[in-house]
Amino acid sequence: MSKDDYDGPILEIENLSISFFTRLREIPAVMDFSVTVQPGEAVGLVGESGCGKSTVALGVMRDLGKNGQIVGGSIKFKGRDMGAMSDEELRDIRGSEIAMIYQEPMASLNPAMKIGKQLMEVPMIHKGASKEQAYERALQVVTDVKLPDPKRILDSFPHQLSGGQQQRIVIAMALMAEPSLLILDEPTTALDVTVEAAVVQLVKELGKKYGTSMLFISHNLGLVLETCDRLCVMYSGEAVETGSIADVFDKMQHPYTQALFRSIPLPGADKNARPLKAIPGNFPLPHERPQGCNFGPRCDYFEDGRCNVTDIRMAEVAGDDRHWTRCLKFQEIDWNAPMELMETKQKGEIGPVVLKMDNLKKYYEVAANALFGGGRTKVVKANETLSFEARESETLAIVGESGCGKSTFAKVLMGLETATDGQILLDNRNIEMTPIEKRDSKTVSEIQMVFQNPFDTLNPSMTVGRQIIRALEIFGIGKNDAERRARMLELLDLVKLPREFADRMPRQLSGGQKQRVGIARAFAGDARIVVADEPVSALDVSVQAAVTDLLMEIQREKKTTLLFISHDLSIVRYLSDRVMVMYLGHVVELGTTDQVFSPPYHPYTEALLSAVPIADTSVQKEHIVLEGDIPSAMNPPPGCPFQTRCRWKDQVPGGLCEKDVPPMRQMADGHQIKCHLAEDILSRMTPVIKIAAE
Amino acid sequence: MEPLSGIDITGRILWQFWPVWISLIVLFALSMRFKRRLGLYGKLFDSPIGMIGFALVMFWIFTGIYASFDLIMTHLPLSQISGLKNKGPGSPLPSPDPGQYQWYLLGGDNLARDVFSRMVKGSSIVIGIAPLATLFAFMVGITMGLPAGYYGGRLDVFLSFMANLILAFPVILLFFLLVTPEIVAAGVPNYMATVLFCFPIIFATVLLNSRYHSQPSVRTPLMSAVLVVLIWIYLSAISTDGYLVRTEGLKIPLLPNAIDLFNIAGGTLVVFVSVVFVNSPTVYRIVRGLTMDIKTRDYVAAAQTRGEGPWYIMLWEILPNARGPLIVDFCLRIGYTTILLGTLGFFGLGLPPESPDWGSTINDARKLLSIYLHPALPPALALLSLVLGLNLLADGLREESLKD
Repeated sequence: MSKDDYDGPILEIENLSISFFTRLREIPAVMDFSVTVQPGEAVGLVGESGCGKSTVALGVMRDLGKNGQIVGGSIKFKGRDMGAMSDEELRDIRGSEIAMIYQEPMASLNPAMKIGKQLMEVPMIHKGASKEQAYERALQVVTDVKLPDPKRILDSFPHQLSGGQQQRIVIAMALMAEPSLLILDEPTTALDVTVEAAVVQLVKELGKKYGTSMLFISHNLGLVLETCDRLCVMYSGEAVETGSIADVFDKMQHPYTQALFRSIPLPGADKNARPLKAIPGNFPLPHERPQGCNFGPRCDYFEDGRCNVTDIRMAEVAGDDRHWTRCLKFQEIDWNAPMELMETKQKGEIGPVVLKMDNLKKYYEVAANALFGGGRTKVVKANETLSFEARESETLAIVGESGCGKSTFAKVLMGLETATDGQILLDNRNIEMTPIEKRDSKTVSEIQMVFQNPFDTLNPSMTVGRQIIRALEIFGIGKNDAERRARMLELLDLVKLPREFADRMPRQLSGGQKQRVGIARAFAGDARIVVADEPVSALDVSVQAAVTDLLMEIQREKKTTLLFISHDLSIVRYLSDRVMVMYLGHVVELGTTDQVFSPPYHPYTEALLSAVPIADTSVQKEHIVLEGDIPSAMNPPPGCPFQTRCRWKDQVPGGLCEKDVPPMRQMADGHQIKCHLAEDILSRMTPVIKIAAE
Repeated sequence: MEPLSGIDITGRILWQFWPVWISLIVLFALSMRFKRRLGLYGKLFDSPIGMIGFALVMFWIFTGIYASFDLIMTHLPLSQISGLKNKGPGSPLPSPDPGQYQWYLLGGDNLARDVFSRMVKGSSIVIGIAPLATLFAFMVGITMGLPAGYYGGRLDVFLSFMANLILAFPVILLFFLLVTPEIVAAGVPNYMATVLFCFPIIFATVLLNSRYHSQPSVRTPLMSAVLVVLIWIYLSAISTDGYLVRTEGLKIPLLPNAIDLFNIAGGTLVVFVSVVFVNSPTVYRIVRGLTMDIKTRDYVAAAQTRGEGPWYIMLWEILPNARGPLIVDFCLRIGYTTILLGTLGFFGLGLPPESPDWGSTINDARKLLSIYLHPALPPALALLSLVLGLNLLADGLREESLKD
């Protein structure tokens, strides 16, 4: 069959069930899953980690490994049953008709092969194209994915490209054979937001241009809204709701979908007046799924004796376009009822200044030759003139993409590095030059940190309780082991973990629970300043809400100053009092949350706001796509650090942006922007995010 | 009396090993019964390869233990019986005393000693020395590798250079140097032992101090107790007959005989020193690499931000999480050490010539190999099966530790 004379659905998955077989038991990963992808359609597959969305993709590719097996249902590709195909036919289809793009671009490219050769392989293998034809095609596709200087790119090795460029190459490779179906498995998770926005834009355009159908797997509802036509929400191995984007986002018919939307910080949520509502309980393990509805135990509308009896089938919602839901009660639930308002919280009283940074600089010297220390040394300016104040029980968000210097700043504050210049004042004591070994245990315990990766934050070979007790020991809290153990149990209470967890090993805990232990450990010595380095970015959305809430609650109780490092502007807007935007070691904007999130913006803030996907159909965004990548801190551009990507640059006369670093300008009360743009241009800026009138 | 037939010999040998069979059956039954509660060790019983390896290794360990109580053996390893020189397997004793075992089950060697008994006795020497020597090599490798990987920089460059230097040195030449009479007379192995045996003490001191330094009331008594014991063992180990070194020109007195716990024979000391010397650079490299990887983890950063000392981080945060690859390498390395012991024995280095260890026995039998094969085969097969067992065990452990 040739590629073009088929006009039915590209992919039909019907009642698909996939199980993995381990020594102990059969683990059903996907159950009764159906989805249809029409030509040119983009279907999103959304769910939390472990819900089986990637397994579906692997099932379509027939790449389930040794112990995975399709135990029921069928997958039809262009009307042909893939289960009946021979290995050879499958190999033919993979790569030429179905292409897959994975999360980690570096892992998808062969590091020992030039880009051009890797791309040319595709048509040479699948179409028997000649070398010249293949090269032509590669050149064209690389141009299509908007990489600068395609000839040079084809002649380079993967490691010579940045993460964003690598992902573009992976996309190019997938498009080489003009596949009918493109499966994207979290294609942008490993990328920075502004780069992500550009890649997403590209995928959308290419999908239109080539007429490719897409199966887009993501945990991010906002991204799916931007890229897809239809959407399928998965929970614990089952599709719980499918339908068009508009139907599912605005007229959801499943309690899980509803709970999911209520747990993500959309514009309008507020930590005090309208807090997020986390989904209670935990995701069930595949072999511990409840009887009946999988979501039953966590559902607000659960009805005993009805929801937990039999398996539940998908039911069609009348009146909508192919809108299905797996809920017995969807016709009875009043979906428009306003969310039960949780108790509104008292806003914490902002106290006196606790921490003050003044002109902090941190430079690293990198020797060209590490072994003999010879050669010229290069200076990396990781932090440039950082100045700000943080007050008691205030949340200061530090926003920026990778390489902006936020980790260096945290290291200097913690005392793991000493500052090159400037000062850090903690209660008017200078601590910038005191390394952590010289700090007394009180100072150390007052500044603590919560780390990003929950799977890395706890020592895997020590019990949870032991790790907290160790922190207590080192801070000199408690006279003996019994006292420390009692205090440790109190800390577990504080982070709302059951006390039995004290004797568990970290591997027995879920991501969210580990993060709670991390928080308990940070608060072991009654920390006054807590640096939270993307504490929720690696967690699932429903868990994010709970952990964020926990942090806020502890902050209210203990009057902690929270330095919240993040790149996720939705969550920053939700919980912070003031925001500091960093780019390449510079603070480019500083102000209260309202000031930063509304015009006048710094051009970088503007782009960042536009890049963040928002899962709300009523939000209208101005699309600003930044060209290129973040410059290397080893080799920053002259003048303004942002000038290489700034879209306002031509508004500044005399090429000032390329010559001088702009001064920090005081705007309204406490609002600072580091930009050369004239006052009137700044004041003419329009908001990036508009919420359409309902 | 007639010589025994092949079936008879096999049956009698299997019967001779009865304590080992019972121990193996008990061990396996218990382990299978409780395997879900035994962590990585229990998981080993899910992998057939690991189980076979473990059975082979445990067979020789039990044999070694029982042999040191003179069980299993039919004759004494050094007793010679005239008329049995180079006699084949199953040869009867010409004039057995009452109560004496009536056959040489696997024949006699060229000094008319029982090959079977010597092989069995040899296992207790191999089992006694190889794991201990490997353990010392690990102590040295870990104590050097952790700081090299953790601090990096010049320390790393220096230590790695030293390690490469040792690795680049021809091993056999090194062994010959170590046993050259002039070098032994100058006390070089003793000095090397003095340095190398320090490492366990340093290791234990740092380990305990880093863990308990915030609670002096626990730390001081615990550390003193451990240190007194360790130092006593250390001094006992390095002093022989009241002296550290006793040669013509130089006498360094040390622990008097009255409180000297044990003496290590000169040959054994050389074996120890050379095994540690040769193996520790490789262990060092593994530990260094693992440390460099693990030190980037968040829990290490968390320990740093709460002001932990570097040795606590290295020994309590990094080392336990590097244990998987290290355990596997430990098993493999015992295998190499066993072969190395054999090599040393084969060259006539290390252990005294009458020692029944497998390497020396093979070397002895080598001289008449073209005429009499039977004295060389049993120790060779024993060595083969132990090393094979260790390799399979390491494979099984690696396979199981990678799963979930």
